[in-house]
Parts: sequence; C-alpha cells; structure tokens
Amino acid sequence: MVRLSSFLLKTYHGGHIVIRLAMAGHKQSNRPFYRIVAAYNKRARDSKYIEQLGSYDPLPNIYNEKLVSFNSDRIKYWMGCGAHPTKPVAKLLGFAGFFPLHPMTVTEAERRRALAEQAEGAAPEEVVKQQEL
Amino acid sequence: MIPTSYVFGHESVIDEVATNMAAFSAARCLFRSYSLVKNVDQNTGILIRCSRRMLCSAPSDSSSPDAHVKPQFMDSEVQDILTRITGLNLEKVFRPIKQELKPPKYKLMTDAQLEEATQSAREQAQRLLKMPPVLPERKPINDVLSEDKILEGMDTAKYVFTDITFNIPHRERFIVIREPTGTLRKASWEERDRILQVYFPKEGRRLTAPPVFKEENLKMVFGQDRHEDMLDLCQVQFEPDSSEYIRVHAATYEDLEKMGKYDLLRSTRHFGGLVWYLVNARRVDGLMIDMLQKDLLQDAVSLVGLFNKVHPHSETAQEASSQQAYGLDLLKIYAKRESQRAGYVELALQAYEQTSAESTV
Repeated sequence: MVRLSSFLLKTYHGGHIVIRLAMAGHKQSNRPFYRIVAAYNKRARDSKYIEQLGSYDPLPNIYNEKLVSFNSDRIKYWMGCGAHPTKPVAKLLGFAGFFPLHPMTVTEAERRRALAEQAEGAAPEEVVKQQEL
Repeated sequence: MIPTSYVFGHESVIDEVATNMAAFSAARCLFRSYSLVKNVDQNTGILIRCSRRMLCSAPSDSSSPDAHVKPQFMDSEVQDILTRITGLNLEKVFRPIKQELKPPKYKLMTDAQLEEATQSAREQAQRLLKMPPVLPERKPINDVLSEDKILEGMDTAKYVFTDITFNIPHRERFIVIREPTGTLRKASWEERDRILQVYFPKEGRRLTAPPVFKEENLKMVFGQDRHEDMLDLCQVQFEPDSSEYIRVHAATYEDLEKMGKYDLLRSTRHFGGLVWYLVNARRVDGLMIDMLQKDLLQDAVSLVGLFNKVHPHSETAQEASSQQAYGLDLLKIYAKRESQRAGYVELALQAYEQTSAESTV
C-alpha cells in the first residue's frame, strides 16, 4: 500500500511535483484565498508543500482587481526540474503572459459571450412580450 | 482639529517625551557650557573661499553660453551650498520626538569623551539632515503588451499580476494588468505604488493616501505651523517623483514663502528643497530679508552665489562676474538688479552695516 510504505520510508513520495493552487483559508471562513504552490502530486491539496510560489485572490477588491502574485524566478526553476502546472495555474499564467494563452480560456470566453448574447436575445423578447401583454 | 494619529502614523500620542540619545544629553551639557557655539564663525573662511571659487567658474559659464548645463539639485557644489544654508542646530535636530516614554540615561564622562560624543552627535545630525531628492515628475506609463480580442468578456474583474521575485529593484518589477476587454497592459504609477505596498509593505505608508493631503486640510495644517511634520509624512507616503509629492511640496513651500516662516524648516532636511524651489522660481527676496534680519550674512551671500549659478544669464550673475564681487557687494548687486522688493533689501543691508560698524567701534 502506498500510504504504508510512505510512512515506513520517510523519503518516499508518490508521483511527481506539481504547481497548483492550495486553499489557504483554513476551511472556516466563507472567503477563499489560494496559494500557488509547488507540492508533491499525491499530497492533500492544503497540506505540506515544498515551496510557496505566489498567491491568488479570487474575490475582486474595491478597485475591481483580482490580485495574483507569482515568483517567476522560482517557477522557472521548478519547471526546469520537471514540475507540471495544473489547468487553473496554467490559465492564470497564460493570462499573465508568462505562459502562452491556454486554449480553454479562449473556449470559455467564447462560451460566455454566447451565453451573454442569448441572455440579451431573451431579455428584449421578454420586454416585448410584457408590452404585448 | 486634526488628530495627531494622522501625523505620527501608528505611534500613540503621549504628552511627556523622552530622548533615547545619550549623545543628545551630552550635547545638551555642551550647549549649556558653550552657549554661543554657532557654525557661522567656523564657516566664514570656507564661505569666502567658496564664493571666490564659484565666481571663478561663473565667467567660464557665461563665456560659452552654448555649452551651458543647468546645475541639477544633486550636483556636489549645489549640495554644499544648500547644506551650509541649512545650518546645524543640534538642539533642533535632536529635539524630543514623540516616542515611547523611557527614563533618561545619564552618563559620567571625561572632557575627551564628551568631545567624542559631541563629534558623533554632529555626524549623526549630518546624516539626519541628508536632503531628500528633488526629481522631475514621472511620465505616465501607457505600455500595452498585447491586445487579445478573443478574450473579451472572459471575466468582469481585472487581473493584476505581480512578479514577487526577491532580488529585483521595485522600479524594474513587472506589474501587468489583464483587462476584461482582453488587453494586457503595464500598471500605471499609482497602481504600482499601491500594489507594491500590498506585497512589500513599507513602514508608515498607507494603501490610500490619508485625507490630510487634500487642499483644505493642508491649509488647516499650515495654520498650525506643522509644515515639517507634513513634509515628513509626504516623504513616507509618496515616491519622490510622483505628482502628489511634488504638489504637496509646492503647496508647503508656497505657504512658507507667503507667511515668511522660513525658520520652521531652518535646521531640518527640507530646507535645501525649499531653497532650491525658491531659487528656481526666482523669488528669493523673502528668504534674503529673513537672513539679513537674523544676521546670517554668509548664508545670504551663498544664497546669491547659488542664484547666480542656477541663472547664469541673469543680470545679477553677469554683473557679479564682470565685477568679481564678493560678500556685501554681491548682495548690493542683487538688491539693485533682480529683487522685486529692492527697498526692503537695501534697508536691511544698511541696518546690518550700521550694526557691524557699531560693534567694531
């Protein structure tokens, strides 16, 4: 069993190193806050990580900004050591211009635009219907 | 009434004050015994030599007007003059600032140790009096890194990306913003200041500027004669080349010049900036009269010398260089040619000559 052997051999770790988002809100507040972190793949999302590489605040502040920070020097190092970024991290770094744009961001943007157009198309129809009524 | 918490940041307001400078108490003892020690006598010889040196350089400037380079604030000669004019009033530099209350420390010293302590106090005072830089206003950043129309409508909020690598200076850090329209642009100076304060906080600086810096509140503060505290707070809050910093400093200097309260800044590190501003605006009359009334003749002479350096094509400079004048003659030339309140300056000069004649007689 993987867990037993990792308990017996202190240096064993399962899997590879990933760069991912770990929640830092201690599960009690209704306020998410993520850390961009280099950790082993098999570890729990919020438990011990190797190094913190940045932060991401998903709620916008009073200036309508979502603050993201990342330590580009260390990210380059871990990528050089063979770390894999997860999808959300890849999307964020694609927005930043550090990575090339993730293809899913384009698809999501298109989907959102389609939804918005549908909503606009539906709203005037409703207005017209109410006027008729 | 403005609560003092505005001015003194996070420190609590205490009426009783105590110093933490053992050297200050030593300097205080020294001052009680040598109550008339002033820098004026020491600097007389240096001043006359320096004024001669300055006038020797003036002809070379006026003889080749095409090669004239405007003296900057950070030139060593300009800094020398400004340091001298600022003066070194140890009592004022080390006056008690609002701090945690601690009982004073007394030390028993021999004369030699006392002199050493005074010397180190002087050096400390000179370091405290180091002038903050005067820089031209920074140009706004309008750099767009990429325009991605395909990303339009991806989110309702902007994303601000900061590079938190440790070793880069703050001016070179990458802070980029991805707008909801899809453009990736560099952050403007105000946004940069705010975000750098979030990730690399400086002590005493706040994320949003305190409302003291608005016009009406500034006037109230000036009414209470707190120009120096205002300038210190401005120093902490803003970058030296931001428009806010320049605006607050200009307002302070204008008010000081209008009221004639040059003494408030006299032995502080902001005096050089005040003199530089007035010299560049060519409104040195008030300061000149103030110096003459306080019998600071050498300071007045060096002030006119600085004026001649900065405006070498003015009448004063050209006449001074042609006549090779120094000392009182420089002041007379200035009073004749350049000053708007010539009457006042000449009166003050005459009064000074009378008093010096009486004292010699």
